[in-house]
Amino acid sequence: MGLYLLSFILFLVGLYGVLTKANIVKIILGSGIMGYAVNLFLILIAYRSGGTFPILLPGKDPGLMVDPLPQALVLTSIVIELGTTALLVALAVNIHKHYGTLNVRKVRRLKG
Amino acid sequence: MAEKHSGMTLIVKTITRFTVWLILLYGIFLMIHGHLTPGGGFVGGLVVALSFIHMKLAFGKKGPVKGSGKTFLHALDSSGALLFLGIGVAAFFAGLPFLSNFLPKGKLFDLFSAGTIPILNFAIMLKVGAAIFLVFIALNLYEHGSKAGNSEDSKNEKREGE
Repeated sequence: MGLYLLSFILFLVGLYGVLTKANIVKIILGSGIMGYAVNLFLILIAYRSGGTFPILLPGKDPGLMVDPLPQALVLTSIVIELGTTALLVALAVNIHKHYGTLNVRKVRRLKG
Repeated sequence: MAEKHSGMTLIVKTITRFTVWLILLYGIFLMIHGHLTPGGGFVGGLVVALSFIHMKLAFGKKGPVKGSGKTFLHALDSSGALLFLGIGVAAFFAGLPFLSNFLPKGKLFDLFSAGTIPILNFAIMLKVGAAIFLVFIALNLYEHGSKAGNSEDSKNEKREGE
């Protein structure tokens, strides 16, 4: 339970970065931290105490294994996170090209 | 140091000449052993793409690979997806559902076993490696909207001068 709370606190750290920082690069890093916290939470709820990795090896009794299904889900999640991060970085590059700044409070073409 | 925009220092370039091949071979190793150990097509493709990114970072634009090769990378990317789809459809001709393992499976824990899974790993490695390297190139070269590939150097210099 304490580990779940710690991963929730890690999520809140990322959320704090997304909400309060002005630099776009820091916002992207905050969204990445939020994603990592969710991945960590999913891996933690799949853990069985005393279990080993869910891979069959020659000459080894499988025994108790951790749940492999959330691990496959997290692998997909990491791939999607990579795609969204690449998209965000491309948007940041475009914003820097058009406005000359990475500060979100100075990016205002419509005044008022 | 002497020339501008030609990558990093001589030390980095010399070490890169040795390590690029090790990283590339490690990616291919992860792909080949994907059905036996942790790893597989995705991780192998990532490591292969990282080796190319390593070379691009160390040597810059005047590297051993001329140009960006975007059309070739797009072809690799699409051929990986097509190979995956082709193996999936080929199971129909064996009278099995989509993506079924129609090849002989061989012995357990052999290197060449598990039927179609190593071929699927190879397809995923092509797709992921080409896609990650394409993302790096697209973010690197500032080709947004305007005509691609012809005047990257002059465009970049102009933008830095502004």
